[in-house]
Amino acid sequence: MFKRYWKWLVLIVASAVMLAACSGKQSSTDDKGEGSSEKIVLTAWAWNVNVGALNEAMKEFQKSNPNIELKVEDIGRLDVYDKLSTGLAAGGTGLPDIVLVEDDRIHGYVNAFPKGFVNLSEKGFDQYKDVFPTFKKDLTSVDGKFYAMPFDAGPTGMFYRTDLFEKAGVKAEDIETWDDFLAAAKKIKEATGAFAMPLDKFKDDPIFRMMLNQRGIYYFDQDGKIDLTNPKAVEAMEMLKKFDDAGLIKDVDGWNGVVSATVDGSVATVPFGAWYYGTIVDQAKDTNGKWGVFLLPAFEKGGNRAANLGGSSWMIPASSKHIDEAYKFLEFFSTTKDIQLMAMEKYGLFPSLASAYDSELFTSGVQFFGGQKIWELFANEMKDIPTAYYTNDYAVALDEAIKAQADVFNGKDPKKALEEAAKRLKDRTKREMNTY
Amino acid sequence: MVEVNSMTPKVEGHTKMKKHVWKKKIVPYIFIAPSVILFSIFMLYPIGYSFVMSFQTSAGGEMTFNGLENYKRLFNDDIFLKALKNTFIILAVQVPMMLFLALILAVLLHSSLLKWKAMFRVSFFLPAVTSLVAYSIIFSIMLMNDGLMNQLLEWIGISSIPWLSHPFWAKVSLILAMTWRWVGYNMVIYLAALQNISEDLYEAASIDGASKVRQFFSITIPQLKPVILFTAILSTIGTLQLFDEPYTLTKGGPSDETLTIGMYLYQTGFRYFDFGYASTIAYVIVVLIAILSFIQFKVSGDER
Repeated sequence: MFKRYWKWLVLIVASAVMLAACSGKQSSTDDKGEGSSEKIVLTAWAWNVNVGALNEAMKEFQKSNPNIELKVEDIGRLDVYDKLSTGLAAGGTGLPDIVLVEDDRIHGYVNAFPKGFVNLSEKGFDQYKDVFPTFKKDLTSVDGKFYAMPFDAGPTGMFYRTDLFEKAGVKAEDIETWDDFLAAAKKIKEATGAFAMPLDKFKDDPIFRMMLNQRGIYYFDQDGKIDLTNPKAVEAMEMLKKFDDAGLIKDVDGWNGVVSATVDGSVATVPFGAWYYGTIVDQAKDTNGKWGVFLLPAFEKGGNRAANLGGSSWMIPASSKHIDEAYKFLEFFSTTKDIQLMAMEKYGLFPSLASAYDSELFTSGVQFFGGQKIWELFANEMKDIPTAYYTNDYAVALDEAIKAQADVFNGKDPKKALEEAAKRLKDRTKREMNTY
Repeated sequence: MVEVNSMTPKVEGHTKMKKHVWKKKIVPYIFIAPSVILFSIFMLYPIGYSFVMSFQTSAGGEMTFNGLENYKRLFNDDIFLKALKNTFIILAVQVPMMLFLALILAVLLHSSLLKWKAMFRVSFFLPAVTSLVAYSIIFSIMLMNDGLMNQLLEWIGISSIPWLSHPFWAKVSLILAMTWRWVGYNMVIYLAALQNISEDLYEAASIDGASKVRQFFSITIPQLKPVILFTAILSTIGTLQLFDEPYTLTKGGPSDETLTIGMYLYQTGFRYFDFGYASTIAYVIVVLIAILSFIQFKVSGDER
């Protein structure tokens, strides 16, 4: 008797499991309403200030599309990726219609889940390819096809404390190369005790990445070959080492560490993307008027000083039930000048839409920065930014580069550390390695 | 199986009784069905599916079988081997140290001489229930270059220590943090077990002239052996799956020196999207836990 019921039980359990496994694709959006008269609710995942920008853009959009509504879920940046990855791995289950993704992850996602996202070129996005800077276009497209709509960018700059510079008798205009900056930083440290830059030395490498991007190289080259041993990369790492040896780098813990160093004035400059403006204005209110921006120093006189760090774009998961509506809204969001200006003015999100740069906002001075025209500076930088080649192995490469940097700060020779990192990367990704 | 009502025709009574017996048999299964079904959906199915995935690799977004390739790759993967080594170093140092400390604390707090027992017990147990976020933030602030620990060291004349950035000290920091968090938990388990040791044993021992230290090693430890084994296995499993501390304090750095198998598993799955390989790592952890638990049973000579 027992045996028979046991069989039944197993059957029930098995069918329950099958049901759970086969319940298949489900979008988190409302199912009803293919007809244009009915309400369509789009869902989106985004974080931080992007949520507000998206909501306000929807209000404008609704003036001509009253039947479309938007529900934005404000999820932490890394949580978005965790949820997105698991959703894609489960064949698109539970994904929203719109998701914000940082540029350095786009290629990784598209390569890992080629059918996971809507090919925007097929929807006609190619008509906009000339309104965005080249590097942004390269980041949002894979094999010449758009998979993401460009949103904000992160042209880099050195945010610096004008009062500390003055006290040390250093002029930002005179700093042209990293060597100039090294000399200036030593003076500043002596006069004010402030470090040159904050850096999470053993866990992150943003300055190294900016230096690579500025010099037209990255972890990988255009063909996807490992390029960490490029002499220019070695030189960049050696430069960081020089700053560290001179005691000019403040070792901080993560993002919060950088912010508190910015607020308490223990660093004289913070090299970051334009989006850091929002944080400074928000967190360091007491230092109103004491800030300025200059471009990254070059490696040789007259060399390139433009680079990009961060920035994000919008993607549409292929499992969305309202692809056309999501496309229409995002097209409106990404290519409408006024929307981009709103995002910039209210939320400090630097647009990559080139036509936005003509507006008054970009040519007027910023009071918090002592009246300096910082937006003009960033906007002019955009066209000179070289493309960074992230590839689908970016996450591994980033980890290996951080390890190399940690090794260097723990005393290893920069060239040797980068060679070892490149070899590990080769083992892990099976990619070819450039030899110099 | 006796007919109750002789007035009822025989056939009907038989089916009634059959129904009754059937009900009796099926009801328990209905009662346990919710938990069995939930367990199957949320535990058995993932466990089974990840086993299948451990033989698969992702090619162009589709999972395809690649035989034992993942397992072969694992044993030639320098980073995995490093993570394995790190995990075992932490295991070998941290678990015995923590358990011994917990045992001593338990014995001290069990002593009849001590006042404010409840307060001590609570304060030693508190770390185990502290929010992970608060705990990791406080530790990273304390262990910063100009943090509390280094300020204290400088105050007593020792030069500051790179707690989170030196290959050796980063491991020490992890071990310190883990010990702080779990020593009280194990202590409470020992305290409970200590209540069960008969006072007679200690009395007899003191009449024989055995010192307190001798009593600790010859009575307390042997009497607690099954509990010590239990906590050792729990801690071993916990350490093999170690993720929280390296993730929040060092991110596995500097240069993978504090990377644990658990962290590598997370990175492989959720940073590199290599779910197949991540499942392989998960199954290797399972096998390791099984082997280590078996050894611990054998070494302690407890056949029960």
